[in-house]
Amino acid sequence: MPVNIIVCIKQIIDPEIPASQFKIDPGTKRQVQGSHSLVISAYDQNAIEVAVQLKEKHGGKVTAVSVGGASAATALKSALSMGADEAILVDDPAIVASDQQGIAHVLATATQKVGVFDLILTGCVSGDWGDRAVPAFMAEELGIGCVGFVSRIEAKDGQVVLRRVVEDGYELIEAKTPVLVSIISDETNTPRYPKLKDIMAAGKKTIPVWKAADLGVDSERIGAAAARALITDVYLPVKESKCEMIEGDTPQEQAVKLAARLRELKLI
Amino acid sequence: MEKFHGVDYYEIEELLTEQERLVRDTARTFVDEQVLPIIRAHHRAGTFPTDLISKMGALGFFGANLTGYGCAGVSNVAYGLMMQELERGDSAIRSCASVQGALVMYPIQTFGSEAQGDRWLPALARGEAIGCFGLTEPDHGSDPAGMTTRAIRVRDGFLLNGAKRWITNGTLADIAVIWAKLDGEVQGFLVERGTPGFQATEMEGKFSFRASVTSELTFNDCLIPEANLLDKAHGLKAPLMCLNQARYGIAWGAVGAAMACYDAALRYALSRIQFGKPIASFQLVQDKLVTMLTELTKAQFLCLRLGRLKDAGRLQHTQVSLAKRNNVAIALDIARLARDILGASGIVDDYPVIRHMLNLETVKTYEGTHDIHTLILGRDITGISALE
Ligand SMILES: Cc1cc2nc3c(=O)[nH]c(=O)nc-3n(C[C@H](O)[C@H](O)[C@H](O)COP(=O)(O)OP(=O)(O)OC[C@H]3O[C@@H](n4cnc5c(N)ncnc54)[C@H](O)[C@@H]3O)c2cc1C
Repeated sequence: MPVNIIVCIKQIIDPEIPASQFKIDPGTKRQVQGSHSLVISAYDQNAIEVAVQLKEKHGGKVTAVSVGGASAATALKSALSMGADEAILVDDPAIVASDQQGIAHVLATATQKVGVFDLILTGCVSGDWGDRAVPAFMAEELGIGCVGFVSRIEAKDGQVVLRRVVEDGYELIEAKTPVLVSIISDETNTPRYPKLKDIMAAGKKTIPVWKAADLGVDSERIGAAAARALITDVYLPVKESKCEMIEGDTPQEQAVKLAARLRELKLI
Repeated sequence: MEKFHGVDYYEIEELLTEQERLVRDTARTFVDEQVLPIIRAHHRAGTFPTDLISKMGALGFFGANLTGYGCAGVSNVAYGLMMQELERGDSAIRSCASVQGALVMYPIQTFGSEAQGDRWLPALARGEAIGCFGLTEPDHGSDPAGMTTRAIRVRDGFLLNGAKRWITNGTLADIAVIWAKLDGEVQGFLVERGTPGFQATEMEGKFSFRASVTSELTFNDCLIPEANLLDKAHGLKAPLMCLNQARYGIAWGAVGAAMACYDAALRYALSRIQFGKPIASFQLVQDKLVTMLTELTKAQFLCLRLGRLKDAGRLQHTQVSLAKRNNVAIALDIARLARDILGASGIVDDYPVIRHMLNLETVKTYEGTHDIHTLILGRDITGISALE
């Protein structure tokens, strides 16, 4: 049975830059891109890989969707190069500065416009803000189930078996489709390198750009004004280290004092 | 180790197309994940990582700028960026791709028959077959016109006699493109592995290109079937056209080796403390780093323009000579400066610098030595040949 999959991907500033080069714009409270490159958020890449593997096994179609600026087209080309069949960019100034609920609303309307789907995949955590909220909000909005932190998906007749990673192992969950699944990495979904031929083929595909109005987005629910979560401050943690000598005449006395001090500091 | 983020002081990224960036990124990730973790061991052991061949083939690295026969047909700039990244890993890896694409697939496609193309090109592109290119001989390096390897016509084809030396991938190759004189004219022959009278032995004792296979080939009354003649190749111009393709990739590759050295030197200078502060605080060290970055940036622009000219079909072989000559020379200078900045750490293979420095000695010599390119350019601008 073919599976039709929509993968939601986010383009972010490469999170692997040295900490010393991380700069925050005090006005917008966002990271300054500078000369750093843009990449697809890491778990979103695993999500593309899972989608493409499912398609290779069962047939069907993979559509990548990204909400972002014009530059996000490169992330979508990358998804096409990895094996997605189609890609859609939702780019509208009205969406900028939406919070997670706003983005989830936009993505939900976009997936509805894409049409029939069995699975919606996202990364489990965004690589920039560490957000995990969008998948759940989106599923709620679409009225479908949501399973988070899944590393493997097996599809069989109208349902999927999801391997959800939990602290001390994994759970196997059977879910009816359509369902929204957020993906976590494991050794079976390491993102493939796009082959040169596929990069060339992706280059020939056009990526439609949808505006909020094309999607029937509720304008009251997007943008800074609608945001329910407000970021009041962003700062780089200052790492400080200091050395404290524990006095004492005997090793026993030193040990007792050390233990007391550690307890005082709530470290033990 | 911290991830490599490229060296891009002049925002050259902006001048690249999306496809060019994606091709570069594939090669960059491949090098970070598949080459860098294993290259030191291969360099020490003097072995080529042969299991990378099929991986490179699957990704489309071989003959990437050619079209047809399963080749990707990427732009020459994309191809160059790929070569840059491969050589950031090791010159041996880039050389393997150079030989396969520019020196084996290119002549088969350009000078060979359709049957030769059908038989070899798809397999070479996928990395299922490996090729080598034999021009240099023990007694003829810079002066290939003097070659003594000869073919004579016999009833079933040609009899080949002679020897080639310094041949990259010679012992690994399934197919050797061998240049020999037939009735006094240089011609190309496809010599298949296992042909009676054809022997390949590995050369030992290298201090450079240790992770590459370099071989000596001998031909003793080797019978080459008529169908294995590259019958559109006439004269020395044919192998020189191949070398021109390969040198184009070398000009980019040298930039990759230089990037690896600059990157290592900068990181080291920032973290190494002497006299109570990072050595990067000293003016003399800063001067070295700035010199490295300046030359590297100029070389990047040379490559980009070279690639755009090649894509437009306007590239002159002398322009390739200039870029090969300059970029390899500055890469070697950068490697030596980096070696110096690393102090004693610069001579051990915990860092990539000494490996690149040693490799670049070969790159300076092969595919036309630095001085031979000087003379090619000298002849071009003065009209007077100082070569012979
Ligand atoms: C690791 C490695 C891999 C190689 N792979 C291949 C391969 O795959 N296929 C292949 O065919 N060859 C290969 N080569 C050979 C390479 O191309 C030759 O080494 C190169 O062409 C130089 O030839 P030579 O070593 O005989 O030096 P020579 O030609 O003897 O030159 C020695 C020196 O004399 C100088 N010189 C020579 N003539 C002149 C002149 N007219 N004026 C001024 N100076 C001059 C040169 O610049 C050089 O400094 C490889 C070499 C190495 C080291």
